[in-house]
Amino acid sequence: MAVVGAFCVSVMKNACINAQYPGKCATCVEVCPYDVYAMDGEGQVSVQNFNACVGCRICAEFCPGNAIRINSAEPESITRALWTFPTVEEIHYKALTGQYILRGFGTMGPLPHFDSIVVVPSQIASPAPRDKYREDCKMDVVIGEDTCERPMHLQLPIVFPAMSFGALSREAKLALAICAAQMGIATNTGEGGLVPHENLYANGYVDPAREEKRWEPGGYLVMQWSTGRWGVSVDYVRAGDAVEVKIGQGAKPGMGGHLLGKKVTEEIAAVRGVPPGSDALSPCRYYDVQSLDDMKHMVTFLREVTDYQVPILMKLGPSRPYADVRAAAEAGVDAISIDGAAGGTGASPDIVTQSVGIPTIACIPPAVRALKDLGLHRKVKLIALGGLRGGLDAFKALAMGADAVGFGSAAEIALGCRACMACHKGECVYGITAQDPRLRARLDPEEGARRLSNFVRATSEEIKILTMLAGHSAVHELSEEDLRALDLNTAAITGLKLIGFEKRLPWWEGVGAN
Amino acid sequence: MLAVATALDAKDLDLRQVSAALKQLKGSETIEIRHAASLHGFCAGLKQGEYDIIGDAGDYLGVLNDGATIRVTGNVGNYVGDNMTRGLIVVEGNAGLAAGVYPYGGTLLIRGSAGDFTATMNKGATIIVCGDVGDETATYHLAGDLIVVGNAGLNFGNFLIRGNLYIGGAFKSQGHNTRVEPLTKDDEQKLHRLFEQFDVPAEVSRFRKLVAETAKPFYGRIIKRRE
Repeated sequence: MAVVGAFCVSVMKNACINAQYPGKCATCVEVCPYDVYAMDGEGQVSVQNFNACVGCRICAEFCPGNAIRINSAEPESITRALWTFPTVEEIHYKALTGQYILRGFGTMGPLPHFDSIVVVPSQIASPAPRDKYREDCKMDVVIGEDTCERPMHLQLPIVFPAMSFGALSREAKLALAICAAQMGIATNTGEGGLVPHENLYANGYVDPAREEKRWEPGGYLVMQWSTGRWGVSVDYVRAGDAVEVKIGQGAKPGMGGHLLGKKVTEEIAAVRGVPPGSDALSPCRYYDVQSLDDMKHMVTFLREVTDYQVPILMKLGPSRPYADVRAAAEAGVDAISIDGAAGGTGASPDIVTQSVGIPTIACIPPAVRALKDLGLHRKVKLIALGGLRGGLDAFKALAMGADAVGFGSAAEIALGCRACMACHKGECVYGITAQDPRLRARLDPEEGARRLSNFVRATSEEIKILTMLAGHSAVHELSEEDLRALDLNTAAITGLKLIGFEKRLPWWEGVGAN
Repeated sequence: MLAVATALDAKDLDLRQVSAALKQLKGSETIEIRHAASLHGFCAGLKQGEYDIIGDAGDYLGVLNDGATIRVTGNVGNYVGDNMTRGLIVVEGNAGLAAGVYPYGGTLLIRGSAGDFTATMNKGATIIVCGDVGDETATYHLAGDLIVVGNAGLNFGNFLIRGNLYIGGAFKSQGHNTRVEPLTKDDEQKLHRLFEQFDVPAEVSRFRKLVAETAKPFYGRIIKRRE
């Protein structure tokens, strides 16, 4: 731990009062007890001994011109470990305001993710690779094939997970719906009720009579049934092509949705039934579910209400993937979304987003195992969510046993987001998570949908390339044999074969190949 | 005009079979159903019709009700009138947990008593309980009216945001963000009208009203809790 010379002291001359009027200001010289600064006979202040700086930053705090910057000379994670400047500032924030830190977007920081997994191509010992340019690859997925009269036939193994109207602007919601229609995939209402015409747009129509299809081939809208039940009525449940029962989400498992008062405009308040300007806080659990039996009854009455036409999905947060997925499958749903800890949110306490829940790569193998143990793998579809960035992550999730993947944060970024993590403030400068009409005007739904569709197209091509070079002609043929773990840690948590060793780690023997 | 009653025995039938049978009976004015106690989610999402359940009913009776009139002569299980938007549900006996949870509109009348979490997240329905209610009643009440003729348990009206909670008896403790007020002339008229309409034997002069202290309570921290 370097104490001497640990900090770089820089004074910006154009902001320094002394540089412009020598002798008029010497605050830094006066406040520094370690003689880092000195003033010469002409009244000029300079940094004479930066080695003596201890990083107390009293000079920066007192400088009337805000001209002083104190930075760690080496990466703070090495020299200051626990007590980095941001940590110190966070404690000061809490001490000043009495509030914890709330923010939007997703997990920022090191979590085991798909990066430590590689894709295994096909050579002679396995079925030969397929030709991406001249041969077909089957990408479609059907949810609720045997159980419903109107199953969801997704053209690509991709969905947009639940992002609510309120958290997202109307324009962003409609862009997602139009993209779903253009690509033949599914989007989701989220828990904030239905945006007018969202269901039409998602199916590819503009006119309510559904006569002329504007966007081919037409996609699907999943209606979320959540703990706050915002804007939910029987017409809402029947308006879409599936119903999703939300139990939790990756960014904040164990907590309900949180829409800050600033984003609750008259329009949002009318849909949700809360007073404008007050926080809309979803409960963390269903007030009308006390047991697993109740959950089964809930799935049954949702089927009853939708006349056994559409699939029922369930969305789980990353908690105990094996037990939770097993319980969800036993409740009788057609598809289970499991959202890893890297999933996104509109607003959540920072500590919960950062450190609560199991990472995505550790959620998929137990979930697959649970379905296999029940004999339901590939029958009850598994949708992997949580911080997936593109075709490579999607391929890895599919090969680990998922049937489809969801892009939430990545879809927002495709719409123009720059991941500034201020979704909760309602001041999104790209109009994605804003409710202010002035900001929302910056996002055109059709232009946004064009960008989203391009992203989905590129991503699906990436999935296709990898699937075919691994020697498969359909995404559901992928298996964990197409992947290898790059390090011991990943091999240990996923049960994938370790590179070089070419076997699963000993304690995975007998657990059952995913 | 005389109501034509048609009877249906739900014994040994599951929910799907009973709803299929009910669809066959469409056209008659009132349908009488017996042995519905083991059906959970019965009368879900109905837009019209009158249903008389003779005996007890199971959980989630009249969930997502959107215009039907449902009467139960016995007791009901948990979550009666869950997420209802229109219509009328009358329970002659007692109700279980979380009666009238998440409703946007309609009327729920319980002649007996109801359990904990009654009228939780009410967003606009009128809920009348002629007996007592349990703890945490009307938690996060967003709009509408709850009328309790008897007593209430702990934390009555916790995190009340909007709407009125009328109570004829006592409550063990008052929830966060609530204030007790005497009835106004409008309130008295409303209660008189409702009691007359549904034949509730209660004296309006005994009632008090709980309203929200502020529409924007400070979440996450209970500032003060009065006994």
